[in-house]
Amino acid sequence: MINLNIDSQKNRTYDAIVIGSGISGGWAAKELCEKGLKTLVLERGRDVQHIKDYPTTNMYPWEFEHRNELPYSVQQENPIVNRCYAFHEDSEHFFVKDQEHPYVQQKPFDWIRGYQVGGKSLLWARQTQRWSDFDFEGPARDGFAVDWPIRYSDLTRWYDHVERFAGIAGDKDGLEELPDGEFLPGYPLNIVEKYFKEKIEKQYPGRKVISARCAHLSKPNQIHFDQGRVQCQHRKLCQRGCPFGGYFSSNSSTLPWAQKTGNLTLRPHSVVHSILYDEEKGKAIGVRVIDNESKNEIDFYAKIIFLNAAAINSNLVLLNSKSSRFPAGLGNDSGTLGKYVAFHNYSARISAEFGDYLDYTTDGKNPAGGGYIPRFRNLKRQETDFLRGYAAGFSAYRISHTEQSGIGVDLKNNILNPKLGNWGVGSHMMGETIPKETNFVELDPSLTDQWGIPQLRISVDYDENDRKMKKDYLDTMEEMFTSAGFINIRRNESSQAPGLDIHEMGGVRMGLDPKTSMLNKWNQIHSCPNVFVTDGASMTSTSTQNPSLTYMALTARAVDYAFAELKKGNL
Amino acid sequence: MNRRNAIKQLFVVAGGIMIASSCDFTPTATSIQLNHIKLFRADEDLLGQLVEAIIPKSDSPGAKELKLHLFVMKMVDDCASPADQQFFLDGLKLAEKMRDQPIENVQRYLLDLSEKQDVFFKLLKGRTIQGYKNSEYIMKNKLVYELVPGRYNGSVKIEA
Repeated sequence: MINLNIDSQKNRTYDAIVIGSGISGGWAAKELCEKGLKTLVLERGRDVQHIKDYPTTNMYPWEFEHRNELPYSVQQENPIVNRCYAFHEDSEHFFVKDQEHPYVQQKPFDWIRGYQVGGKSLLWARQTQRWSDFDFEGPARDGFAVDWPIRYSDLTRWYDHVERFAGIAGDKDGLEELPDGEFLPGYPLNIVEKYFKEKIEKQYPGRKVISARCAHLSKPNQIHFDQGRVQCQHRKLCQRGCPFGGYFSSNSSTLPWAQKTGNLTLRPHSVVHSILYDEEKGKAIGVRVIDNESKNEIDFYAKIIFLNAAAINSNLVLLNSKSSRFPAGLGNDSGTLGKYVAFHNYSARISAEFGDYLDYTTDGKNPAGGGYIPRFRNLKRQETDFLRGYAAGFSAYRISHTEQSGIGVDLKNNILNPKLGNWGVGSHMMGETIPKETNFVELDPSLTDQWGIPQLRISVDYDENDRKMKKDYLDTMEEMFTSAGFINIRRNESSQAPGLDIHEMGGVRMGLDPKTSMLNKWNQIHSCPNVFVTDGASMTSTSTQNPSLTYMALTARAVDYAFAELKKGNL
Repeated sequence: MNRRNAIKQLFVVAGGIMIASSCDFTPTATSIQLNHIKLFRADEDLLGQLVEAIIPKSDSPGAKELKLHLFVMKMVDDCASPADQQFFLDGLKLAEKMRDQPIENVQRYLLDLSEKQDVFFKLLKGRTIQGYKNSEYIMKNKLVYELVPGRYNGSVKIEA
């Protein structure tokens, strides 16, 4: 406490504070610092510096004590995070363990978190598609949630801006529903993916199979070299952190860039308790932090605050920011805070085999992962008994079969001589879900976490629309697979809980009307305009596209606006 | 032998699986530290015979030379459920009669277990194969693993 007293308030005052250093917080930091604002980035976890803090990145499989498997006890103690596809021996240090930050599941919800500098940007699946007006006009057209206060044209130049810097590989496909961007060369489909593309596009007009667009440097430009990043080397070990900076993360890209300006102060181990609201000034004045090492409470001050704690935690911060002006959470005049949480429905996949093109195989690894099928259901008009639709992944690979029966020299020889089998093909759905008041997060009235902050209660579930959509996905893909001549088709209806898609969104939604939304079209809290929320929490609806690229664009756009308003003296 | 037993008992009295397995000065300790199950050097040696019977030395190293018996021990110790650990310990005890037997006899014994869908055998074989495929020797010399492929070709014609 002595130190705190010596620390004058002035030393804890900045132009801007960014809460969170993940994919959107990193962007806020970069843009704010580039505009010359002294910026404090608060990160609740430890520091992770590019390359230096990727301990497993150059390890061979045999160098892992358990060959990348996690010990039984770790799996038992972490049923939630253990369900995440990327949680293994090589990456477990980048995931939050279940006990470290408990929450209440009123309904099953797998909340997957990465508490460190860079957040989940180290771990993400790197798929990056722009949203289109089919997405932004969705709620208004189909009568759910509230109308988005923006359209694609509001974001176009910001998509350009973030794509150029982050580096997005993709083809110009000329699709209205998936606008083209400032792409680096796309990763080509393999021979069977191409076959499927031709077959489907001919037989089902309106349906497309394209190369998946992803945040990998297929052919870096000068701006990427300037970040210290080089061409992606097709390792596909991204979850370990990439020594080449081959994929975009806060750690490899935006944070070091912000650091170079001299305007960045990065403070790890800073668990945000709340945003401080000054009743007299009628605006937020700073952020209260619990230091994770000393457990001391420290206040930091700034003119503007960017909240980028990741969707669910941004809800938590606002809900816990109570004042007599805002007894139900900062900016919550509408009563919508914490509500209308939605996600992506990833609960179905389908796989099959293909017995053609057996004189071909692949060599190396595809960072993009294969193909992408943009949403075609209910795209231009409502045509089913459920709302909205789904995008889907599609990929093909040559199956390698090892005969493992018996023991002895025969077994050994069989292992050393795997045989090529059929092609394997697979697809997974990425369904839009409808934000509803009944899908919400709230503060638990009594339980707190180790920092004395109320635990979050999460109450989010699938609904009938999701179930109908899932069936349609499986039926439709099965039909498409059958017509392509695929065999041994297996439908896989996963019982995975919401959350495991790691695309949770909403709770602090944007909207035109302060009575029914939290944020305006600049991601500014209607009733507390020097606080901007530009992560997944701000999303009015979910689209079917992966959301991260849109968070980046929204963030850069909001910083540009905030800076202009600041200069005008409006904030 | 008396001394060995006495030392063993001493450890039991001390109440520590951890203590027993972390002491390297005694001939009874395994050559790697185990944290959950209790095995001794004699068990390790027997396990060496068993994994070698599954993947024997030929013109390339066998399982024992690649130290897969240590890998199997490690995986059973850390990654198996308590139930599977017990199956493993029981199975290893039963395999005691194969100690110092010729490899053909050991193989016959294991094949017999295989026909009975024996859990011990399944665990043993599964971990042995996993360790073999992921061994440095195999990944450098036989089924070569590339840490940095640097390429993707989606349409490679296979030469007949």
